[in-house]
Amino acid sequence: MSGRVIVITSGKGGVGKTTASANIGVALANTGASVALVDMDIGLRNLDILMGLENRVVYNLVDVVEERCKLRQALVKDKRIPNLSLLPAAQTRDKTAVNSDQMKKLCAELKELFEFVIVDSPAGIESGFQNAIAGAEEAIVITTPEMSAVRDADRIIGLLEARKDEIQQYRLVVNRIRPQMVKNSDMMSVEDVLEILSVKLLGVVPEDEEIITSTNRGEPVSGTDNVRSGMAFRNIARRVRGEDVPFMDLDVQNNGWMSRIVKFFSPATRV
Amino acid sequence: MSKIAIISQPDQGVLIDVSGCTTLREAIEQLTSTLQVSSQFWKGTSIALNLGQLELNTSQVAQILAITKGVGAFPKQVFSKSGLTRTALKDHGVPLGTGEPMGLPEIDFDRMTEHELTQDEAQEQAVIDEVTSAVVYEHDEVDLSIEKATEDDDFVTSETEEEATQEAPAVQLPPTPAVLYLRQNLRSGQTVSHKGHLVIVGDVNPGAEVMAEGDITVWGVLRGMAHAGIGGNLDAEIRALKLQPIQIRIGHAIARSPDSPRVKFASGIKFTPETARIVDGKIKITCSSID
Repeated sequence: MSGRVIVITSGKGGVGKTTASANIGVALANTGASVALVDMDIGLRNLDILMGLENRVVYNLVDVVEERCKLRQALVKDKRIPNLSLLPAAQTRDKTAVNSDQMKKLCAELKELFEFVIVDSPAGIESGFQNAIAGAEEAIVITTPEMSAVRDADRIIGLLEARKDEIQQYRLVVNRIRPQMVKNSDMMSVEDVLEILSVKLLGVVPEDEEIITSTNRGEPVSGTDNVRSGMAFRNIARRVRGEDVPFMDLDVQNNGWMSRIVKFFSPATRV
Repeated sequence: MSKIAIISQPDQGVLIDVSGCTTLREAIEQLTSTLQVSSQFWKGTSIALNLGQLELNTSQVAQILAITKGVGAFPKQVFSKSGLTRTALKDHGVPLGTGEPMGLPEIDFDRMTEHELTQDEAQEQAVIDEVTSAVVYEHDEVDLSIEKATEDDDFVTSETEEEATQEAPAVQLPPTPAVLYLRQNLRSGQTVSHKGHLVIVGDVNPGAEVMAEGDITVWGVLRGMAHAGIGGNLDAEIRALKLQPIQIRIGHAIARSPDSPRVKFASGIKFTPETARIVDGKIKITCSSID
């Protein structure tokens, strides 16, 4: 059983890589798969905070790579989901602490233990990014619908394309979209983004205040019901597993009492 | 500053010139980063390598060759000014280049200022000011039907003079420099430069740069930066199925897109083929569709 190593990258910072890594990881684990989350943002680690596991970190990725501990000792089991584990980054080191070969070796080891290895890449195109993609076979590129993020995503896709032999598949997630603004032509639409990037779309996640509260609580939204962004991440996880899930209808929600009743009675697959 | 240059030659394929590098390490770094950025472009391309003064022994040459092999290109010939390197290359069975490799086209900045009416520094500043303050390119609907009619007229008169019965004179082909033909999208950060005409079947995304001594033709949307007529060829043109560039440059002239609207949302690309060329010293865009 060899797992799939998927790197989540974007180029631009702040578009939602870590949030996506946490949520896709949780959603995949909830479908029954064994998942390892790897935080490659060495020096600026965040994935442990999003997962609510920051007080359970004893060893980290750099300790494993420098052979101060075994891999199993560094993996932190999630507090709610037994088949999900986190390999945290080091906070007191920086991105020069690891090189590509060490990362390849680490990913090879993780592949044998987990069905999915989700690698959270840092922002940028330098060694942090290069190390993060070193062991991966697939990539998910995250972008927000803004020209600056799209341009950076384009650069990243160009770099991924140049490694066609290692990275066999890369797909796009458009994050933090606001359907009302798109309607008013104040924000790029998903089609606008795809026109420039020309890449396969994996999912679309709407802007959601719940993400902020989930970060503070350390509980990723994809583990919660009735949250739209959580639903979107769950759909993305299903598509990663190969299911053909229709895209969410992100049209402006009417929250009047009548529509809520209608929603209550409509089949669950609609949302 | 990049110490590597990539020049397309008409008969020798693409020349990669690392003679600007002073150490092997530099050459390897530059080679790796350049070749890997657009490795699809290199697969199967016949390339030549200019190592300049670099002194390399057999194993060091092996390292350089490994990089080119890594992207699927093997140098057809290698130029080197160093005896040690030449011996090492012979050991690897690499054909040695004879004579001088092609150099980069020299952008003669002095010659460019001659194009201004006077060599006044104020004139230079005026060009730069124009770019930053005013919109430099204008849309013009050129009535191409009139031009066509004149051509027909000529044809008609020659017939009445019964010259049509004679063999039509052979079409005078201008000396055509090699054309580089690429069939891919250029993504942000990728650059292509060519000593001749450049044809790209695909999009040029914002952040990508295309440069040529001749014309640039983009069969797709040009959203990046294009510089035609490098070296002073002011007849060069830039054309695309849709011109939405960040900047276009022909020869020494620079034009930028108008400041608003920045991005047209509510997509649905409508292709409107346009050509940019220099008219009266300024870059003008004209619709390319012949009515």
